[in-house]
Amino acid sequence: MTTTSAKNLFIYGSLLCFVVLVILTIDTMGKLDQRAPVITEKVDAGKKVWHKYDCIGCHTILGNGSYFAPDMTKATERKPKGYLKKFLIDPRAINPGTAMPSFGMSEQEADDLIAFLDWTSKVDTNGWPPKPILAAAAGTRTASMGQMLFQKHDCSACHQIQGIGGTAGPDLTYIGNERPDVEWHIRHLKAPDAVVPDSAMPGFNDLSEEELRQLAEYLITLK
Amino acid sequence: MKYQSHQIALNFYTASVLLFLVQALVGIIAAFQFIWPDFFILNFNTIRTLHINALVVWLLMGMMGATYYVVTEESETELWSIPLGHLQFWATVIAVSAVVVGYIIMGLNPQANIEVFGTRLLNEGREYIEAPRWADILIVVSVLLFLLNCFMTILKTKKFTAVQGVLLGGLTFLALMYIPGMFYTKSMVKDQFWWWWVVHLWVEGSWELIAAALLAFMLHKLLGTDVKVLAKWMYIEVGLVLFTGILGLGHHYYWIGTPEYWLWVGGIFSSLEPIPLLLMVWDAFRTTRETRGVVENKIGLYLTVAHAIFNFVGAGLWGVIHTLPQVNKWTHGTQLTTAHGHLAFYGAYVLLIVAMIYVTLPSIRGVKEFNQSRGFQSFWWMTISMIFIVITITGAGMVQTYLERLLGLDYVTVKASYNLWFWIFRAIFGVTFIVGVWMLVKDVLILGRKPAA
Ligand code: HEC
Ligand code: HEC
Ligand code: HEM
Ligand code: HEM
Ligand SMILES: [Fe+2]
Repeated sequence: MTTTSAKNLFIYGSLLCFVVLVILTIDTMGKLDQRAPVITEKVDAGKKVWHKYDCIGCHTILGNGSYFAPDMTKATERKPKGYLKKFLIDPRAINPGTAMPSFGMSEQEADDLIAFLDWTSKVDTNGWPPKPILAAAAGTRTASMGQMLFQKHDCSACHQIQGIGGTAGPDLTYIGNERPDVEWHIRHLKAPDAVVPDSAMPGFNDLSEEELRQLAEYLITLK
Repeated sequence: MKYQSHQIALNFYTASVLLFLVQALVGIIAAFQFIWPDFFILNFNTIRTLHINALVVWLLMGMMGATYYVVTEESETELWSIPLGHLQFWATVIAVSAVVVGYIIMGLNPQANIEVFGTRLLNEGREYIEAPRWADILIVVSVLLFLLNCFMTILKTKKFTAVQGVLLGGLTFLALMYIPGMFYTKSMVKDQFWWWWVVHLWVEGSWELIAAALLAFMLHKLLGTDVKVLAKWMYIEVGLVLFTGILGLGHHYYWIGTPEYWLWVGGIFSSLEPIPLLLMVWDAFRTTRETRGVVENKIGLYLTVAHAIFNFVGAGLWGVIHTLPQVNKWTHGTQLTTAHGHLAFYGAYVLLIVAMIYVTLPSIRGVKEFNQSRGFQSFWWMTISMIFIVITITGAGMVQTYLERLLGLDYVTVKASYNLWFWIFRAIFGVTFIVGVWMLVKDVLILGRKPAA
């Protein structure tokens, strides 16, 4: 190959690739709106709050950003909105151990952000993030009724038992030693903020008395 | 100094290595914040912003310095306008300082990041392109003035060399690809779609063109290799870079809400991206082997070859391991991405600028012999440290992928307990890295000024 033909190949080949990229881009732009919910004013306001506080400087969203904090794409699926709102306004009041600082966010801003995060959680991401495949295989041991309720209501989204689970609420590995009172737990599960002032834990009053007792009895076995 | 214009190149080099020092320093703070989040008065996000913005800016300034040098040398004349060159340098320094002050203010008081004319005053809140809109405009003006000066110089003598063509072509492409990052979209999906045009088409497109052109320039200057042969291979390399890299953009469009066909486009084209990088390694070795006689500037050649190798390893190998959608589905946005980001930037662009400095600085200072041992020492301190940083973070990424993504453990648990030792080692190797950077800065300031030992 001569230098001139190499040069021509470079110039025209690259232009061709760029043209293909432009065509694919136009096609993609036409399809994006069907792959995501409608963007309301609230969602847009939330996106602006996201940029204002530079959330991307610690978090990823849709998997892109910084790797200092959890991905935000499905944040509203992992945690109830009431909890998220309290957390966003003052993270350390809710979870003293958290590495997320307080930004002085208003209630309005927190609501908008949650609307925005709700929007991203519904984007069709071709199945990302994937469900952990080994977790299903590991969780087949027999469990008590209380333990099953613990799993069913996803308490481990916020609580750890022996290193497994989230860190939004206190670690429950030794809760049976710390709070051995079944009645306390029943009252707390029904309406956490009636027992612990300003609690950010959601209430579980849709459970029957029977279920609440089973759950509480499971909790006090944790020692 | 043969040309007055080379003073401008030297100013850019000096500013760029000083910013490199700042980048490494804040990198260490960021590394400690993984262990103690409240380690510093500024939060992690501000520190990280400073770290990656310093990186991009110092590399761009290094490229500008290198280009001013190459254009004067290839055209065998002074720049079209020397005062414009100086003005462009100082304007860049002032604009960058203003942006940094803005980040710090916003870090201390997040509420200061108010909205003006529909954009943010201090920080746009988008990774890498955090700089606010007013700064974007200043950056574009600065780059246009720079390009104008270079093009007018070439037009003055009408010596259209291949190296100059690809170099300035790459720089023009770079300037154009900044534009997709300069408008607001309501959809986060579209936001990220255009954001990747900037980020990916920079590092895997225009910047690689600049790297290939500078590689050819350095090999010619160091070894006296025939320009025709170098030019032919350069065209083949940059051709392959763009054939694979432009559509390789698809490897960022797997999971952000874009249609499924990107899995095919991105997977196929990006898997081929290492080929041109391997060709550059071969090119560097072939020209070196075919050269007879002694090479005077050994450190220059050493760094040039090291750049080619680490470009292939960091960008090519560490990139290709997670570029297929089947793998990327599990590793997307984990510490593996950071490991690749560090080795790729270090190999492809940090070593490129450092090599250009060592290849051209002796001529700028007008010496043939100089103390080369400081350059070698700085290279090894930086390179060994970077290799260890990348090994630890690759380890952290593998643990994270396994425990969080495959087993379903909580993100914070994996970060705070399982990966703790990796963070500690990264911080330690960060400190040894900065020793090498410090040696580099000192050497750039004194190289060739005192008689060689
Ligand atoms: C300085 C870094 C930093 C910044 C900036 C930051 N976060 Fe966080 N955030 C964290 C960390 C670290 C966690 C993990 C929780 C922990 O440490 O317990 C977290 C947790 C969260 C959670 C809880 C996630 C879960 O699944 O439990 C939400 C929601 C959240 N952040 C939203 C945001 C939003 C919205 C912003 C922007 C306004 C933001 N964060 C900015 C560091 C940060
Ligand atoms: C959205 C997060 C969240 C979810 C989901 C959640 N909790 Fe909590 N939990 C908290 C927070 C925050 C606290 C601390 C405030 C309080 O004590 O009410 C807490 C406190 C507790 C405590 C008291 C711990 C102590 O040391 O005082 C127990 C017991 C408890 N939760 C059990 C449960 C159970 C059982 C479930 C599932 C049915 C559950 N939690 C679901 C957030 C959560
Ligand atoms: C010199 C060239 C390159 C540089 C400087 C570079 C740098 C980077 C950086 C910094 C990121 C992270 C971006 C972020 O912060 O979100 C990234 C992501 C990525 N890079 Fe590269 N890269 C280069 C070349 C390549 C090549 C050649 C490949 C593939 C063969 C590749 C594959 C990837 C992939 C797949 C991701 C996404 C990772 C994820 O899903 O989290 N890169 N690159
Ligand atoms: C002193 C040594 C260094 C240390 C300790 C360090 C540390 C860090 C840390 C902690 C982060 C944040 C990563 C995250 O979000 O999880 C980061 C990001 C980054 N650093 Fe460094 N860094 C160093 C040197 C460098 C160098 C020399 C380069 C360029 C070659 C570089 C390029 C980047 C890039 C591109 C990112 C952002 C993208 C990514 O996370 O992949 N760093 N660095
Ligand atoms: Fe890429």
